Amino acid sequence: MRISSVFGVIPLLLLLAVGEASAHAMLDHAEPRVGNKVATAPREVTLWFTQKLEPAFSTITVTDSTGKRVDTGKTRVSGSQMSISLRPGGSGTYRVKWHVLSTDTHTTDGRFTFQVGQ
Amino acid sequence: MDWFAAGENGPLIAIRAIHFAASAMTTGTLVFGTVVGNPALRSEPQLALLQRAQMLRLAWIGVAITVLSGVIWLWFQAAAIAGLPLGEALTSSLLLTVLNETQFGLVWEIRTVLAIILAACLAYGRFVPAKWLALATAIGLTAAIAWTGHAGSTAGELGKLHLAADVLHLAAAAAWIGGLVPLVLLLTAVRRAQAVAWPSLAWEATRRFSMLGVISVATLLTTGIVNAWILVGSFHALATSEYGRLLILKLVVFAIMLAFAVVNRFWLTPRLAISSGNELPFAALRGLTHNGVIEIALGFAIFAIVGMLGTMHPATHLF
Repeated sequence: MRISSVFGVIPLLLLLAVGEASAHAMLDHAEPRVGNKVATAPREVTLWFTQKLEPAFSTITVTDSTGKRVDTGKTRVSGSQMSISLRPGGSGTYRVKWHVLSTDTHTTDGRFTFQVGQ
Repeated sequence: MDWFAAGENGPLIAIRAIHFAASAMTTGTLVFGTVVGNPALRSEPQLALLQRAQMLRLAWIGVAITVLSGVIWLWFQAAAIAGLPLGEALTSSLLLTVLNETQFGLVWEIRTVLAIILAACLAYGRFVPAKWLALATAIGLTAAIAWTGHAGSTAGELGKLHLAADVLHLAAAAAWIGGLVPLVLLLTAVRRAQAVAWPSLAWEATRRFSMLGVISVATLLTTGIVNAWILVGSFHALATSEYGRLLILKLVVFAIMLAFAVVNRFWLTPRLAISSGNELPFAALRGLTHNGVIEIALGFAIFAIVGMLGTMHPATHLF
């Protein structure tokens, strides 16, 4: 019966449409790892996202335990990966703040910390 | 649940809905003319001439609204990207940065060029190559929207598959939903023209359109399964979210459209072919026209929902 087959496809459509929603750039992982401890201050911080990013509207800022900015201010974006170089710094808790625009025109932002030394 | 209080995104949602609908109508009109209108009216030169003039007018209106709403979309999108109020987003530096340095901007430029080529083809439509170029650019105008959406940001090889599926999804949706507008106009014109053979003309047109509809729905399903396969991981989280519920609403509207299509195909269209004695099948033709108008309204509701979904942050952020 054709009508029943037409309605039979609805669950499939549902699956499709819901699937679309997992888009938008979210932090997949980072180096140094989120919340982890590293022995010495890293030379750069790299973030991997779930979507491709727009370089013109995607930034990272990194501050050390005193709240002083230790990043060089130049965020590099390649596909879904974004990194920034750091100036040499001391030990303590580093805070990473990110703000990205994915190529599907959505902005997302977030923050995390990692520990250096001690 | 505040689906309909979309807040600060309201203007962006509205302009996206208008833009998608206008693009779909433009594409749908040209596809309709090529595979339904022109072949169906071949035996009635006068009606065919009238129909072509109607299609041309519809295509012009579609292109004009597409371009105008496209400009406003760029403005509203730039404001959303920069996190600025609409008034403050109208600066040349922001608009130029969005145009020149984002994928949305690049796609916007390409689609604007396609719209200009399409307009030129419509202006010189009496040449055969212009007709085919018009059809190609019209399909490209809608299909290119894929690069501005979720499929345009999926990373890696999977992204190419996602894009291919979305391109076909958009083209199929435009051919079907956009084609409803010229179908309703054609059925109205056929009824008014009072040509002797009008029931067979209307039958031929609706039969061809329903074939186009079957191909479109099949394409929507196939591309839908591909997308589901790519992104199925988040199903459970989204089924319980506002985003998921809005998607379910979209699918309910789609299902109602399909139900109308089924009635048209299996109930009303066959009745056009049956002339019981001298009684002509006016009721069937009127029914088809009415259903077409209702389907257009439902189609616009789908574009409005799509316009809203694209601006929402998906529920995955909440989990």
